[in-house]
Amino acid sequence: MNLAFVLALTLAAVDRPVIDLSGGRIQPLPLAIAKPLGSQETGTAVEAVLAQDFERSGLFRLLDPASFLAPPDEGMTGIDYSKWQTVGAQALIKANCDASADVSCEMRLYDVARGQELLHGTYTAPRPALRLAAHRFGDDVVRFFTHEPGVFQTRIAWVRESESGKQVMVSDWDGFGVQPLTGASINLLPSWSPDGRMIAFTSFREGGGAHLYTVEVASRQVRSLIGLGDFATGASYSPDGSRLLFSASQNDNTDVYVAQADGSGARRITEARGIDISASWSPDGKRVAFVSERAGTPQIYTMAADGSDVRRLTFQGNYNQEPAWSPKGDLIAFSGRDEHRVFDLYTVAVDTGKVTRLTQNQGTNEKPAWAPNGRYLLFSSTRSGKRQVWMSQPDGSNQRQVTSEKVGAADPAWGPLPGK
Amino acid sequence: MIGSAPPSLLAPQGRMPALPAVSLAIALHVGVFAAAFVLPRLFDRPPPPRKPIIAHLVALGRPRDPRLLPRKESPPPSAASRPVPAAAPSAAPRKPEPSRSELMERALARATGKADPETREPADPERVGSASGSVEGTATTAEEGDAYFTAVHDAILEHYVVPSVISERERLYLAASVLAWIGPDGRILSHEFQKKSGNAFFDQALELAIQKTRLPPPPAGLARSLRDNGVLLNFRP
Repeated sequence: MNLAFVLALTLAAVDRPVIDLSGGRIQPLPLAIAKPLGSQETGTAVEAVLAQDFERSGLFRLLDPASFLAPPDEGMTGIDYSKWQTVGAQALIKANCDASADVSCEMRLYDVARGQELLHGTYTAPRPALRLAAHRFGDDVVRFFTHEPGVFQTRIAWVRESESGKQVMVSDWDGFGVQPLTGASINLLPSWSPDGRMIAFTSFREGGGAHLYTVEVASRQVRSLIGLGDFATGASYSPDGSRLLFSASQNDNTDVYVAQADGSGARRITEARGIDISASWSPDGKRVAFVSERAGTPQIYTMAADGSDVRRLTFQGNYNQEPAWSPKGDLIAFSGRDEHRVFDLYTVAVDTGKVTRLTQNQGTNEKPAWAPNGRYLLFSSTRSGKRQVWMSQPDGSNQRQVTSEKVGAADPAWGPLPGK
Repeated sequence: MIGSAPPSLLAPQGRMPALPAVSLAIALHVGVFAAAFVLPRLFDRPPPPRKPIIAHLVALGRPRDPRLLPRKESPPPSAASRPVPAAAPSAAPRKPEPSRSELMERALARATGKADPETREPADPERVGSASGSVEGTATTAEEGDAYFTAVHDAILEHYVVPSVISERERLYLAASVLAWIGPDGRILSHEFQKKSGNAFFDQALELAIQKTRLPPPPAGLARSLRDNGVLLNFRP
């Protein structure tokens, strides 16, 4: 009898219809952050930073605390998961903070559906660096889910536009903790060294044209880096920090150059007539993306790091600029002018050349810069009336304003992951 | 004097060994059952394995000049992330976006000549598609397909959510298969994982999608098969 049953099942299986489903909507995971236990002052501040990190990340959808059914004094153990499941939570975070001089918070992450604790740690920081403790736990949560590093502890550089000039600034990834790094002459195009200690930038600070300088982030000490030709601009450190790409103009021809990180040994690596500019390293340091007018209009090209093996990558549009190679290596973000003569952000797949549009009908959007984990892009946008720094995910979703400058902000650059 | 009766001709002549007898009985049973299942199929051959081809309507629009930069396929980001615009002059309230199943119903209605002319809305003049496409179209190329399985596909897809915490790299190889049995009224009677993905949050999202899905009743010709044999759903992110 059993044998006959197995046979029947086998036969039934062959004429069963099959439906392949793909393309599910990518949506944030519903996350509840419980009311903190212990010191309410510290706990609430930590909770606010965590909530903002998770919200901006696009990875989580924070549930409204007003909907929570669990009692506010529910402890870190003995959790009634059914109450969290009822309000739609799939993950739950709880924190218990001390009221001591330094911040010390025990923080835990739970899987609500399976009723399991997933992460558990105590995070400490000096009180002025309270945000850092929250960012660290946030990054641990991101790493747990995505198996990739989070960016909550990273810093960004950008240019503050004011009546008196343009200053290179640094801030946390979310726009908090803004600090100036340079004076207010004309300073542009900051680029982080891979260890996060130096920023190279283009400046007119000494008159007579644009040249390259570095500023040490900790000391704000500025040094001249490269003063080649009529102007030198657009520095970009190689992923291992040993070399530097930039563009310089000599004899009315602008080309891409490579030099040692200290500015020595500059060597031209493009030779075509017309402008070659805006060079960006591939994540393995073997290739370079750049803009060239050699075919008549500015387009995105790639070449080997020694200037050989030049390949045109974009064929759509007639003004594509500012390539930025993703840390994952698969995409190059750029800004392009569409038929309405507006610049917007696009990505082009390095393997296939497929171009995807990220922004549309939202002012002018330029200067894309990747997060070190490749999950986000910074860019400048005029959509709010003034140019400000915005961020989005690489598909153009989850666009959020980062800076709120009085006059404007531009030229963003994302710093490295901590500990690099 | 007591005489003895002659031995019956029906009396056992000797003991038959047990093992061959049991084996013979099993073989006979197996043969009978196999014949019961196989023979009808020889005369009434089952349809070949069916793998529905999903139809997507071609969008009404203009073919885009391939030399131009592409347009964005999805609408701009949500209002929450955009600056609040100045108060707009009073206008007619905007219709909510129709769901995929509503779009499918409309499309099926139009195909059968039951379309409500009021449902036709003016198309985006810059939309990419075909001049002969549909306002409700979602694709730029036409494919053939089975209407009911397309409806099943689209109904599930409406609730199919992939948690964004799953990295792009992991999404490349995640796959799960769920066997679902559908009742004559379209209710999903039961389901079970044939193959889990290995990511608990992805599998949980599939569970939720199946629980939330409401299907139309299957056509008469499919009802029995879907109730008894079910349909295999292969999920990839």
